Amino acid sequence: MSSLNLAGVSLHYGPEQTGLPVLQNVSLNLARGEFISVIGRSGSGKTSLLNLAGGFVAPSAGRVTVDGKPVTGPGPDRAVVFQDDALYPWRSVRDNVALPLKLRGIDAATRAEKAREWLAAVGLQDHQDKHVWQLSGGQRQRVGLARALASEPEFLLMDEPLGALDAMTRDQMHELLLSLWEESHAGALLITHSVEEAVFLSTSVIVLAPTPGRIVHREEFEFGRRYLEGEDPRALKSEPEFIDARERLLAAIYEKELVDG
Amino acid sequence: MVDLPLTETPAPRRRPALSWAPYVGLVTIGGLLLLWTLASAFGWASPVFLPSPGRVWDAFLRVATEGYANATLAEHIAASLWRVFAALIAAMVVGVPAGLLIATSRVGRGILDPLIEFIRPLPPLAYLPLIIIWFGIGEPSKVLVIAIAMLAPIVISTVSGVRAASDSQIQAARTFGASRWQVIREVMVPAALPSILTGIRIALGAGWTTLVAAELVAATRGLGYMIQSAAQFLVTDMVIAGILVISALATISELGLRYIERRYLPWIGKS
Repeated sequence: MSSLNLAGVSLHYGPEQTGLPVLQNVSLNLARGEFISVIGRSGSGKTSLLNLAGGFVAPSAGRVTVDGKPVTGPGPDRAVVFQDDALYPWRSVRDNVALPLKLRGIDAATRAEKAREWLAAVGLQDHQDKHVWQLSGGQRQRVGLARALASEPEFLLMDEPLGALDAMTRDQMHELLLSLWEESHAGALLITHSVEEAVFLSTSVIVLAPTPGRIVHREEFEFGRRYLEGEDPRALKSEPEFIDARERLLAAIYEKELVDG
Repeated sequence: MVDLPLTETPAPRRRPALSWAPYVGLVTIGGLLLLWTLASAFGWASPVFLPSPGRVWDAFLRVATEGYANATLAEHIAASLWRVFAALIAAMVVGVPAGLLIATSRVGRGILDPLIEFIRPLPPLAYLPLIIIWFGIGEPSKVLVIAIAMLAPIVISTVSGVRAASDSQIQAARTFGASRWQVIREVMVPAALPSILTGIRIALGAGWTTLVAAELVAATRGLGYMIQSAAQFLVTDMVIAGILVISALATISELGLRYIERRYLPWIGKS
């Protein structure tokens, strides 16, 4: 099973001697079929972690590898869904989704067909010819998701993609995300502010604490899998187990603040 | 696959521009015309300095039918339009790639930025003699004088346009495996187009401004030449007619560019 691995990774912006690192000695392994969420307060290096995994920045120490091969830059094996949707307003919805295929040299007819399929998969089959700005925030994030999946990545890296959405749209997106994750067999890495989102979606949650960013808690969950096996999402989210897990993670997020003072 | 109800409302369209705005412009122009008519009717200024609107209209008809200064109005306009638009194309062919180089390469920036900053403030009348010494008095020199005036706005607008591409838009393309060249072609150039179009509008303004200077030496046709010929003989009505024709042409090209903007760059102002 292929995997994305961060081993003892530290990250400094600027010269190493000045100040604390953004991330210190962070290790994690994301295998295909896993769903890891990263939570933590602002400044705990969540986005830096994603930038390392995506290959946008190189670690100051430690190694980032995919199947043992060092990551030297971004690549189509690791698709990214950005916080701002990062769509291209000069392209139609369909052409946004087709861009990864175009860059791979796939002919126009095939990529239009594939883009149609992915848009249907995120429920936007009726919006293909629209302009990006004619869509709502949730629809735009779904286009971003379809575009990321169109490159058929091994790993799907998501940087707070649902942060700007309203609660109802978020719930819909959670269910969509789980279905697509299952279908694509990709390994998913989600950066999020929402503890509930992390507990519901992930097979594994990592809590980062700030200054320096480091892992202070890891925990595995089954709620997403149970949803995919047919259980009701609202029932799952109101189980005592779910509520306990949420409180435990919240405690892990804030505990370190009290200790550090 | 989950079934998503599409209940979210799409982003509302922007409010249309206020509909009385064009009338304010018309009233302003009408007011000026009225003032002009009154000024010449009551003799507030000598007809040599300020001929009446009627005399300017006669001059316009005269040059349109019989011609003035060796050519008809149509020929003057054709000569000037050709110079301005040839210069625009030349300035774009050089300016857009130069802007892309400045925006995307440190070496390109190091070499080209000082050059552009050197050219930018030069008044056309100052470099005109040099161009004539170097390239002669023919047509290429006239186009070159205008093109130099147009270059800086196009380069600068291209550079700032490339910055309109967000980091995540560029990073997204890179995760799809885009090469450096593909990032420029698929992300930076389209993101820069609105700004480049603004640059072209400013450049055209500069082009019309420079036209008279370009047609100062050894021209036999052109609106700038026509105006200068008229000025030498104090044919003030013809000077004003020429100015109004230039202004009309500039307005028409501006409206054309606005049409292009609406038709082909509909995403401007919508993120």
